[in-house]
Amino acid sequence: MSVDNDPHGSAGAGSGGGGGAGSTSETFEDVDWEKVDDAHRSLSLKAIIIASIYTVFAAGVIYDYVIKTPGTDTIGTLGVNLQALDWLYILTLLSILCFVVVPLYENKRMTRYYWRQFRKNKAAVVSLIYLGIIFVIGSIGPRFLDRPTVDPSSAYQPPVFMSVEEWMPVECAGEVSGGRCHGTWAHPLGTTHEGKDILVSVIYGMEVSMQVGLIAAMITITIAAIVGVSAAYFGGWIDAVLMRYVDIQITFPTFFLYLMVVYLYGGSLFSMIVIFGLLGWGGIARIVRSEALQRREEEYVLAAKNAGASSFWTMRRHLLPNVSNSVITAVTLLIPGLILFEASLAFLGLGDPTIPSWGEVIASGRDDLQYAWWISTIPGVFLFFTILAFNFIGDALRDALDPRSEGSGE
Amino acid sequence: MSMTTYILRRVAWAVVASLIVLTLTFMLLYFTPDTQLAELQFQAAQAGDDPSEIGEAYESYYGYDQPIHVQYVDFMGNMLSLDWGWSETRAQPVTTAIADAIPYSMMYGVPSVIISTVLGIAIGLYSATNQYTRSDYAATFFAFFGLSIPDFWFAIILLVIFGVMLGWVPILFDTSVAIFSLENAQQLILPIIVLTLSSIASLMRYSRAEALEYVEAEFVKTAKAKGVEGRRILTRHIFRPASVPLATILVGDLLGIILVSSYLIEVVYGIPGLGMLSFRAIINQDTPLVMGTVLLPAFLTIIGNLAQDVAYTVLDPRIDYGDS
Repeated sequence: MSVDNDPHGSAGAGSGGGGGAGSTSETFEDVDWEKVDDAHRSLSLKAIIIASIYTVFAAGVIYDYVIKTPGTDTIGTLGVNLQALDWLYILTLLSILCFVVVPLYENKRMTRYYWRQFRKNKAAVVSLIYLGIIFVIGSIGPRFLDRPTVDPSSAYQPPVFMSVEEWMPVECAGEVSGGRCHGTWAHPLGTTHEGKDILVSVIYGMEVSMQVGLIAAMITITIAAIVGVSAAYFGGWIDAVLMRYVDIQITFPTFFLYLMVVYLYGGSLFSMIVIFGLLGWGGIARIVRSEALQRREEEYVLAAKNAGASSFWTMRRHLLPNVSNSVITAVTLLIPGLILFEASLAFLGLGDPTIPSWGEVIASGRDDLQYAWWISTIPGVFLFFTILAFNFIGDALRDALDPRSEGSGE
Repeated sequence: MSMTTYILRRVAWAVVASLIVLTLTFMLLYFTPDTQLAELQFQAAQAGDDPSEIGEAYESYYGYDQPIHVQYVDFMGNMLSLDWGWSETRAQPVTTAIADAIPYSMMYGVPSVIISTVLGIAIGLYSATNQYTRSDYAATFFAFFGLSIPDFWFAIILLVIFGVMLGWVPILFDTSVAIFSLENAQQLILPIIVLTLSSIASLMRYSRAEALEYVEAEFVKTAKAKGVEGRRILTRHIFRPASVPLATILVGDLLGIILVSSYLIEVVYGIPGLGMLSFRAIINQDTPLVMGTVLLPAFLTIIGNLAQDVAYTVLDPRIDYGDS
């Protein structure tokens, strides 16, 4: 795309000045191609900023794992201690910033076009707002709220504006009238049988779900894009080896493999996300490959190759941007499945025991559903709408971004 | 390349994939510290015996003192000859435990697969031929609902409403009732509903998308123009070409959804099927049973994918047997 529109006036003046034929106008021969090339290829400010962001990130990881004394907090004075999962999440958010937010901001015209397409689907717009709220609350909340703690004296508190029979909670936190215990703002969504505040658990669960979805999606996109584009571009034995491997990996039942790992090593959110990320990219790599195979035959790729572009340059500048649409759509439809997997495993008690997740809260209220309906229902509603929102957005993106879907609506 | 060579090669790949799964399992087991051994040694030390002696006896009994390649060959041999070990918690061979559990999984799995296949394809075809009508939107809405609702959550909600509050279905699964009896149907209805809902959605969407490709096709227009009746167009001109890609999603993707969903459904409803067996084995630390119950769905997935690809090759004459 970048070779098509030349922002520098020099080349444009060269071709446009042919009609004037004046001696002062710059001719084709006068254009300093070295300079034009330099302007394209030298590191732009943006590239430097992106590189330095990643350098700072890498320095942070090296500091945390190599330099500082093991077992201490990452930033001792602030009491902040980053785990492997947190580092991965930071990397994911940085990548989203650099490769999604910045390009969207830079190409305002395209962004507006995509937005117009996307806006047609009202459900998807609502979904986007909903996920935005979940993301913001889930990112900020856990920084300021303490983890939900076991507190038997405040068990079975009903949500605010609701009431239950007086005998149910051990000690009713709100007012008792007419033999019924009323909920209070101290626990707006009530508490579990252990007295854990459900609102706090739900907010922690938001972060978990976003981490699962976004980190696994980042790992998936990275591997699928590299494998798919290289397979399509190089062809031959590289294509054969990569795609035969994908054939095998796709038949791998990730869920059951993870069960085995949980059984042998114990569950952790980090291992869950990494396993799902590392084993879930096969289908998307196939999509990338088939898209890239078509793009490889396009005129602009041949032109770039004839002009001496390297393999890396061709893949990075011509193939990748043109397959990104289908990748983003496929990944958006992959994320809800991952969030559901995490919730299912947490529900079975095979997830990460140290992290409050929606599935875990649903499981904790399972036996009390008849008397304390709010414990399982509230996190379940959040889980349902989060998965629904990703499905809606994926569907809208497919309509907006996928040129093959025109007309059929699919 | 001929079709036979392609299928043979595909079968060979399925075998390779199975061997990789087995090898991976072996590696996981080999490099994991044995909790049972640690427990035994702890007991021996408490009783005043020498822990290392116990360890050696334990290792030689199970053959863990052999070099890795001997253990590996042994492991693979046992797996291939269906000698999957002894389940300590159930006091029976792993294969027997699995064979006992399978009928319970089939009891709700088979009806659910049939219902979701027939209904899913029928609704999908109807949606495609009545695109953008109210019923199409209703079907789409239903599909999104089915795709998005967490099955385990939906299962417990249904159980509370219909089991606890209304009392229409039993809360605890009773294994003593006859298979073809009203009581059994009553206690299986909720599992069937939940499993059907989670598998029907993708089938509906997929068959709608496939059928849409043929609704506007030239040969359908021709058939309409020469006055073929609607039902015949639907079954002969739309369903037949669409059924080829549909046959493939049926086997491979549906199997994946059902295997995972049934795991959760059985735990919620207390059905002593394969998923429940596996879950109990994990909770009770019964290693051979965990391996058996996790490997079986893994092999089923591999076989399902194989069947899917073979079905595609046999059914679709347009397929290219090239390198892709």
